[in-house]
Amino acid sequence: MPAEVEAAAVRPRRSIWRNVALFLAVVGPGIITANVDNDAGGITTYTLAGAQYGNKLLWTLIPITVALIVVQEMSARMGVMTGKGLADLIRENFGVKVTFWIMVALLVADVGNTVAEFSGAAASVGIFGVPTWVSVPLTAVAVWLLVLKGTYRQVEKVFLVACAFYVAYPISSFLAHPDWGVVLRETVTPTFELNSGYVAMLIGVVGTTIAPWMQFYLQSAVVEKGIKPEHYAHSRLDVVVGCVITDVVAFFIIAACAGTIWKAGIKVETADQAALALGPLAGHHASWLFAFGLFNASFFAATILPLATSYYVCEAFGWESGIDKKWGQAKEFYTLYTAIVALGAAVVLIPKLPLLKIMLVSQVVNGVLLPFILVFMLLLVNDPKIMGKHRNGPWFNAIAWTTTVVMIALTAWLVVVGVRDLVAG
Amino acid sequence: MPENENPHFLFFSSLLGKKVVGADGRELGRLADLVIATGEPYPPVESLVFKARKESFQLPWSAVEEMNGTVRLKPDVQPEPPPAAPVSDRIRLTEEILDRQIVDVEGAKLVRVNDLHFLVLKGALRVAHVDVGFRGLVRRLGWERVVDGAISLFRPGASYLKTESFLSWKLVQPIDSAPGRVRIEVAQRVLATLHPADLAEIMEELDRHQREVLFGRLDVETAAEALEQTSPELVTALLETVPPEKAADILEEMAPDQAADALSELPREQQQELLQAMEKPEAEEVEELLEYPARSAGGLMTPDLVELRPEATVAEALAEIRRRADELPFIYEVFVVDTGGVLKGICTLKDLVVGDPATSLGRIMREAPATVAADAGLKEVARAATKYNLLSVPVVDADGALRGMVTVDDILAEVVDAR
Repeated sequence: MPAEVEAAAVRPRRSIWRNVALFLAVVGPGIITANVDNDAGGITTYTLAGAQYGNKLLWTLIPITVALIVVQEMSARMGVMTGKGLADLIRENFGVKVTFWIMVALLVADVGNTVAEFSGAAASVGIFGVPTWVSVPLTAVAVWLLVLKGTYRQVEKVFLVACAFYVAYPISSFLAHPDWGVVLRETVTPTFELNSGYVAMLIGVVGTTIAPWMQFYLQSAVVEKGIKPEHYAHSRLDVVVGCVITDVVAFFIIAACAGTIWKAGIKVETADQAALALGPLAGHHASWLFAFGLFNASFFAATILPLATSYYVCEAFGWESGIDKKWGQAKEFYTLYTAIVALGAAVVLIPKLPLLKIMLVSQVVNGVLLPFILVFMLLLVNDPKIMGKHRNGPWFNAIAWTTTVVMIALTAWLVVVGVRDLVAG
Repeated sequence: MPENENPHFLFFSSLLGKKVVGADGRELGRLADLVIATGEPYPPVESLVFKARKESFQLPWSAVEEMNGTVRLKPDVQPEPPPAAPVSDRIRLTEEILDRQIVDVEGAKLVRVNDLHFLVLKGALRVAHVDVGFRGLVRRLGWERVVDGAISLFRPGASYLKTESFLSWKLVQPIDSAPGRVRIEVAQRVLATLHPADLAEIMEELDRHQREVLFGRLDVETAAEALEQTSPELVTALLETVPPEKAADILEEMAPDQAADALSELPREQQQELLQAMEKPEAEEVEELLEYPARSAGGLMTPDLVELRPEATVAEALAEIRRRADELPFIYEVFVVDTGGVLKGICTLKDLVVGDPATSLGRIMREAPATVAADAGLKEVARAATKYNLLSVPVVDADGALRGMVTVDDILAEVVDAR
C-alpha cells in the first residue's frame, strides 16, 4: 500500500480533515435546493418587500430561516433514513387517491412557477434590449437541451456555477451603499403593521421561501446522492448552510432595494423595474448585476423545477424516470418534462396574458398544498415503522408543529386574499 | 366460499373496503388486507384482515361463507388480532405489495403495483397477476367506469381499452416483504434469470433498504455477477450488509480486479478481515492488485490470463484454454513467457485456431505490439489499446515480467464513467 494511503488509514477517525472531506462529499442537495428557492418569484417578492416597505420586513427573515431549517431538516432526515423520496412515502402510506390529488396540485403549482421563471428570464434580458420572443424560446431550448443532452456531471457543474452567481446580489447590495447600521438594527427588531398590504407582503415572503416542491426535491436529491445514515450529521449541516444562504441572499436583496428605491420613493412593481431603478441610484454596475442575478436565478429554477416535478410524478405512479433512460423507456417522464417546459415558455409568449394572475393562481395552489404536505411529513417523520429511532424528539416536534400551524394560518390568509383578488378581477 | 362457482377473475381493488358481516348479517368491519402463503406459482389467499374502527382482526380464508356485495362469514368463527411481527413465508398484500415497488423480472425493471388480479377457483382465491398499468391506477381512483366510457365514446379503438398491463405473479419479485426460507428459494430462482447488468441497474434504483433485501436473496454466483456490473461504492455498501463469510465467498467469485476495486473502498481493518476470510489463492491475487491505484493499469488489470512457455505446442495451448475456460471471462490471446516470467510474445486465438497443432508457440508467436507499466494511467492504457487495436493490453514490470492484462471492457467502462 502506498505511503500516503497508509498514513490516511492510521490517522485518528474523528480528525477535522476527515469531517471536512465527509462534508464535501455529502454537500449539494441542501445548498442547491436552497438556491433554487431564490427563483424569479422569490427575487421579485424580496425586491418588492424592500422597495415598498424598506427594512421593515427584514426581521421576518430570522424566524423564516428557523422554519425553513426545521422543514428541510425533516425532509433530508427522511431521505437519508428511509432511502425513499417523499412522493414514494406518501404513496406507500396514504394510498393512491391522496397521492393523485397531491400530484395534480403540485403539477399545477409547478407549471405556474415555471411560467414565472420564464417571464423572469425574459424580463431580465429585456433590460439589455432583448425582445421576449427571442429570449423565451432560446431559454426554453437551452434548458431542454442542457438537461436532456448533457451528462449528469456536466449538469451538476452548471448548477454549482449557477449557485456561485448568487453572489451578484450581495455585490450589488454593497454597490447600493445602504446604511448598514440601520439595516442590522432593523433585522433584529420585529415590527408589525396591521394593514392588508403589509400582511400580504409578509405572507408573500414566507410563502415564497417555504414552497411544497422543495421538500420533494430535497428528499429525492438526498436519496439520489445515497447519503448513509452515519453521515447524516454532515448532510444536516448542508441543509442548514443552504437555508442560511437563501435568507442571506434575501437579506441583501431587501437591503439593497430598501436603501435605494424605497429611500428615493420610487414605485416599482416587478423585479426588472427594480433593476432599472437601481441604475441611477446605485450605478449601472449594480443595475446590471441585479438583472444578471435575476436571469441566473430564473434559468436555474427553470431547469430544476420541471425536471424535479417530472421525477416526483413518475416516482408516485411508478413510471420509469431518469435522464439516463431512452425516450422509449421513460415515455411518461420525457413527455411530462417537455410539456412543462413548453407550456411554461408558451404561456409567457401569449400576448396580453394576465401573467400576474397566473402567478397568483400558482401561489394560491402552493398555499393550499403546503399545509397538507407539512402534515403528511410530520405524520411520516413520527411513524416508528418508517423512521425507527430517528423520529422527531418532543422539542423538535413542538417547534415543527408550531411552524406548521403558523404556516397553515399564514397560507390560509394568502389563499383567501388570493382568491378574493382573482374573483375581483 | 362455495366450491361450485365458475372460475373467474377479480381485482383486489374491488374487494378492499368491502363490508365483512357475520353469519347473522351483523357488520363486523371492512376488509383491509389479504394474506397469502408463498411458494406456489399462483399463491392462495390464506387469511383475511378486516378493520373495525382502529382495530384489526384476522381470520382464515376458510371462514368465508360467500362473497357478493359483502364478505359473509360462516357461523361461529373467532376473529383474532393479527400477528404483530411479519410471519415468515406469508405476504400481506396491502401492507407489502399494493402501492409498493416490485421487480418485473421479464421486463427487467422496477414497477409500482396499482392493483392485483385474483383467480377465483373452487372457493380459493389465488394471486394471478399484478396490475402495473394506467388502467389499474384509474380503477384505484374509482374512475374506471367514467374514464372507460369517455374513451370508448371518443376513441373506441384506443389501446387503453384493449390491453391490460398485467405481469404474471410468477415473474415478479416483491421487495418490501417478510423473509422466509421458501421466499428466498423462489426469489433466487426468479432473480437468477435476470441478466446481471439488468439486476445491477435495478439495484442502483432501489432504496438502500430494498437493495439490501434483494441483495441478501441472491445466491453467491448471481450476486458476484451483478456486483461486477455496479459501481465500486455500491459494491462496498452492499458487501457490508451481508455476513463476512458470504461477502468473502462473493469476492472470490468476482473477477480479481473488480474485487480489488470493491475492497479498496473499505476501511483497512474490514479489508483485512475479508481478505483473511477468502480462499488463499484468490486473496493473494486481490491483495496484489490492491497495491495499485484504482485507475492505473495495475488497478484495472486482471491476473487471470493464459501464460505459456515458448516450447508449448498449439495443441497444448488450446487444451490449456479449454481447461481454464470456466475461470477466465475473456480469452483473446495467450501470452508467451520465458522461465523468468518475462513476456516474449503473444499468440492470438486466431493464430492458435489456424496454426498446425504440433508447432511450438515460439515459432508462431508475434511480438506484443504494446505493453504498459503497472503505474501507467488510464489514458496511456486506452491509447495503447486504440492505436494497436488491442483487445487486451499486457502489463509488465520494470524487468519485462508479465503481471497481468487490462481488457478492453474495463477500459471502456472507465472511459465512459470519466465523461
